[in-house]
Amino acid sequence: MNEHDIAAALKRIEAPAPGTEARRRARAAALEEFARAQAAKANTLAPAPPSSNNPLQALWRRLRPSRDNNSGSTSMNWFNNRGWLAGAASVCVLALGLTIVWPNLTRDMEDVGHERTAAAYSPPVEVDLQASQDMMPPAFEAPSIEEPMSSMAAEPVVAQEQADTGNAASTTMATPPPQAPHMPAAPPPPMPLEDGSQIIVTGGRAAMKSALEVKRSTAEASMYAQVEQLERVQRIAADSLASAPDHEKEEGRDRFEAFEINPVRRVADAPLSTFSADVDTASYSFVRSQLNFGRLPQKDAVRSEEMINYFDYAWPAARSRNAPFKPTVVVSDSPWNKGRKLVHVGIKGYELSDDAPDANLVLLLDVSGSMNEPNKLPLAVRSMEMLLDSLKPSDTVGIVVYAGAAGTVLEPTPVREKSRIVTALRTLRAGGSTAGAQGIERAYELAERHFRKGGVNRILLATDGDFNVGIDSTDELKGFIERKRGKGIYLSVLGFGQGNFRDELAQALAQNGNGVAAYIDTENEARKVLVEEASSSLFTIAKDVKFQVEFNAATVSEYRLVGYETRALRDEDFNNDAIDAGDVGAGHTVTAIYEITPAGVAGSVDEPRYERNRRSPVRDRSAENGGNEYGFVKIRYKLPDEEKSRLISEPIRVRGSDVAPAVARDVSFSTAVAGFAQLLRGGAYTGALTYDDVMNQAQAARGEDRFGYRAEFVELVRKAKTAREM
Amino acid sequence: MDGMDDLSLIRRAQAGDSTSFAELLDLYYETIHRFAWKWCGHAANADDIAQLACIKLATSLPQYRFQAAFTSWLYRLVISCAQDWQRTQVRHVHDELADTEPAPGGEAAENSIYLLQLLAQLERLGEGMKETALLVHAEGLSHAEAGVILGVSESTISWRVHTIRKHLNRQEAMAGSAS
Repeated sequence: MNEHDIAAALKRIEAPAPGTEARRRARAAALEEFARAQAAKANTLAPAPPSSNNPLQALWRRLRPSRDNNSGSTSMNWFNNRGWLAGAASVCVLALGLTIVWPNLTRDMEDVGHERTAAAYSPPVEVDLQASQDMMPPAFEAPSIEEPMSSMAAEPVVAQEQADTGNAASTTMATPPPQAPHMPAAPPPPMPLEDGSQIIVTGGRAAMKSALEVKRSTAEASMYAQVEQLERVQRIAADSLASAPDHEKEEGRDRFEAFEINPVRRVADAPLSTFSADVDTASYSFVRSQLNFGRLPQKDAVRSEEMINYFDYAWPAARSRNAPFKPTVVVSDSPWNKGRKLVHVGIKGYELSDDAPDANLVLLLDVSGSMNEPNKLPLAVRSMEMLLDSLKPSDTVGIVVYAGAAGTVLEPTPVREKSRIVTALRTLRAGGSTAGAQGIERAYELAERHFRKGGVNRILLATDGDFNVGIDSTDELKGFIERKRGKGIYLSVLGFGQGNFRDELAQALAQNGNGVAAYIDTENEARKVLVEEASSSLFTIAKDVKFQVEFNAATVSEYRLVGYETRALRDEDFNNDAIDAGDVGAGHTVTAIYEITPAGVAGSVDEPRYERNRRSPVRDRSAENGGNEYGFVKIRYKLPDEEKSRLISEPIRVRGSDVAPAVARDVSFSTAVAGFAQLLRGGAYTGALTYDDVMNQAQAARGEDRFGYRAEFVELVRKAKTAREM
Repeated sequence: MDGMDDLSLIRRAQAGDSTSFAELLDLYYETIHRFAWKWCGHAANADDIAQLACIKLATSLPQYRFQAAFTSWLYRLVISCAQDWQRTQVRHVHDELADTEPAPGGEAAENSIYLLQLLAQLERLGEGMKETALLVHAEGLSHAEAGVILGVSESTISWRVHTIRKHLNRQEAMAGSAS
């Protein structure tokens, strides 16, 4: 096929005549919207005609942050495009089924010209570019050619909700959709026409809203899906138009790895479930900050296991450093599905008392211009000061900065000279252009020079998402961190701010560096991560902690693991000590929740019709067959200085022994958290569960709640409820 | 198209006359729908996109300043709506895979399948390629006009057209050597 054919084909293919019903609907909806717009216009003063004196223009310019030339924006965002790729894949399925073989030209870079980067790395994400264009500033008289084109799409933009749409006529900060491509080669400027006027499409949200209403008014059963779709559109629009406080003027470019939630599995098909332990809590903090702005978080930002593991539970702790934890297994009734059970598998790391090892910490701080916001560098500095309080006087702290003024700010200094450290921290200023290559190398170099044998050697990287630490390629960076991990220097990542936070990279780096990734949005969170949990964040008591649960087909027909999607391991990796997994710090709790369907209870999948498909016809529930067990939990871990893993195990008993009241309460609370996380992800498996149910359950299981974290959780659920109704 | 009558119709609609707006809709619905269909290759989806575009037209019409052809302005609006729409689809592609498959049988279905193939090929070439091909090849617009509609420079459109041609030629060469 050549170009001529394409042209001929595109011309020749006749579009089918539009259906009269669809036409009528569209007409009615548009007329209704038109009437609404006119009515709104009549109610307000005539909207100011766009002019070069438009105050919005000035505002828009003022809000545009000075561009950080080296903010890592050259790396295209692969992760966000996954959703798109999935879509493309399905189109391709159609195409391939029809015998067309079309090599992946997007990767064919050899002779792609000046737009190479865009063509080679970006799937057609113009979707987002164009969408963000909707939110370009309202028409200016002068064509906005003077705006450097290459920066357009990467900049925040101001959207005006049109006065005549009936919405508040105030300006709101808009953020392009989360998937906004990062570095378009030729992003469209606000479309100038011949005379310099522009096509501006605003009021998207209002339009969507009314579209929704119209759809509703003509709702038929078959249109249910469409209504939902429009609600989604509306939500996206709302997300992108939601106003944010001043310090939040950012694009919604936070990046999260897309993943599918774990499905229900039949024990007969897959009796083993294997995953890596994890103690990250970044997801919870992020969700919280979104909800505090009245926005529902994007679904991929919600990782159930991180929500669950945010809280400390009363699982009994192990007594010795050599067997650093013991499993707690509790079976309870599932509140989501009648007849099913929940299995909690929890561990609590051994608590260090006064035998904390010496620490050699190097703070690696991002001081690029983008950190110059109250909830970024200043919060990072305060966080570090708090951290000093939880260290021993003999521990040392060094400070390296990158981006902005490069280099070592403070050689490792004992904490007993705290004032020197604090002074160094307080002189840090964000800003300036980037000159901070070798930031990460220098940090590791410092840590190596002051290496504490048998102690804690760790880099704490604080950033708002700019990982331009001196090594450009993400893979190279991961490899570097991994090699240093082999030498005993670990890395933790503390995320600050919003809008640019590259969660998936923070996760990946922390995981490669045997560290935690935490997201710090408030001083309270800093206190939790760096003071209360300092020992767990800093002192690893076990590494490569893996879980494997084998379910008993005689007693369980189906199971589903809540969360841990991004931490799944292959079954064979469990016994392979070369496979890296999560680390557990002193006093950390790790909790996994399974929902199981006991044999004989109606499950999600029908019983097989054919005899041959019943792979486990076992009905013998005698003890020999493990009939008194639902399954068997195995946990592998390595002590921090060992390379060979150890194993601990615990059966899941059908009739468990009595649990302590505190444990029962925390089983209930963690169940509420799990329910909340699943609701935020769409609630596909939680039946009729509502936010109210979650609130009631969490409220009842708050317990002592010394620091108010659980009360805060209840408050968040309430916010999610209203955010949804927005 | 864009005769004096249309222009005065648009002016009256901009002034708030709903009869004129309705008339305008009737005049251009087919154009909108046709373009939407070529963009997505699926009748029901085209219905949705067209409806979104009509709704958007109701609020955006006052911003049309008679500087470009009204249809050009309209294409831009439809593309924008289509892309909005696609973003919502991408998230639920698994649920709705069945829906995007054209109904079996019939010439319309064959056309639809063929178009879907073409669109998929164009989309793989990079961003903006599909829109460029639709405007330049299908609608017969000039590179300059397409550039205005897509908000990129004329030379970018020329480059895109060149890229499309180059890859298609290579595709042809590969197919030739394979057989």
